[in-house]
Amino acid sequence: MATTTNYGWTTPDDTSLVKDGASAIRTLGTSVDTTTKNLNPETTLGDLAFRSSTSNVNTRLGIGTAGQVLTVASGVPSWATASSGSMTLISTTTFSATTSVTLSSIPSTYKDLKLVIRNLKPSTNLQYVYMRFNGDTSASYTSSNGNNAYGLDQLSAFGATELIFASSNNSTTAQGLTVIDIPDYLNTTTWKIGYFRSIGNDSTPTSGQYSNGIIAYDDLAAINSITFFRPSGNITSGTVLLYGVN
Amino acid sequence: MTKTDKPQYKIVNCETGEEIVRDANAEEIAQIAIDAANALTRKAQADAKETAKAAILDRIGLTADELKTILG
Repeated sequence: MATTTNYGWTTPDDTSLVKDGASAIRTLGTSVDTTTKNLNPETTLGDLAFRSSTSNVNTRLGIGTAGQVLTVASGVPSWATASSGSMTLISTTTFSATTSVTLSSIPSTYKDLKLVIRNLKPSTNLQYVYMRFNGDTSASYTSSNGNNAYGLDQLSAFGATELIFASSNNSTTAQGLTVIDIPDYLNTTTWKIGYFRSIGNDSTPTSGQYSNGIIAYDDLAAINSITFFRPSGNITSGTVLLYGVN
Repeated sequence: MTKTDKPQYKIVNCETGEEIVRDANAEEIAQIAIDAANALTRKAQADAKETAKAAILDRIGLTADELKTILG
């Protein structure tokens, strides 16, 4: 029997009898169908196909999940979480007449954390919102402010029971924005630090206040929860977005 | 959950997205009292620092704005 050049499909010889034509066409059609399917294994919207170790047989690569990038592992393509430069929104939480808000069970799949805090407002003027890691209420914290405000100046010995990141302290107007970066939050061999930049509404006088500073925590444990709280009164409103950064 | 006069605590599970708002328990209420006392101490220290600064400025005959001008 003759065969085609590229895929070796069987075709009738020039000398084949006409009565065998239907069978020959059926054989050829089946071969074409099998080869076509082997070359196109995709089944779902977004699937990709790549060459396998067997000639004329491709391998299906199912569509990845949102944010994944195409990479190569063990010599073949695969989807993977971006290894650098990506930021994933973990949670968006609103403050609403609560004394304390805790972001718990923070995933341990990122390198760094970033907090974006918008429109934070305490229930009483001149009251700041504080922060703790891992529910730790011991005297393990210290905070500094580059603007030498809020009674903070340079980092001192760990002696505070909370972290202070300067934010709005105005109980009626909330236009503030604070960004806090917490690098290497999973490591278990060093103390932890964070950097904050903040603009917020001051209550006396009713103007803007700007600050940047460092917060520090003298514990080796990985950070798995972050608590915002007021020692008196409530956090009236605001939103905190928690991002994982790779 | 029915609102009470007790401080409200919100806990967000970042893995599941579940949010719980509940009354503070006895241990948390005790911690709030400790935190409030610490905040008062911190404020008193900050106020004392400001008072000391003002006293020095008064002694040398400068206002706070004049000092800012000099340092600026």
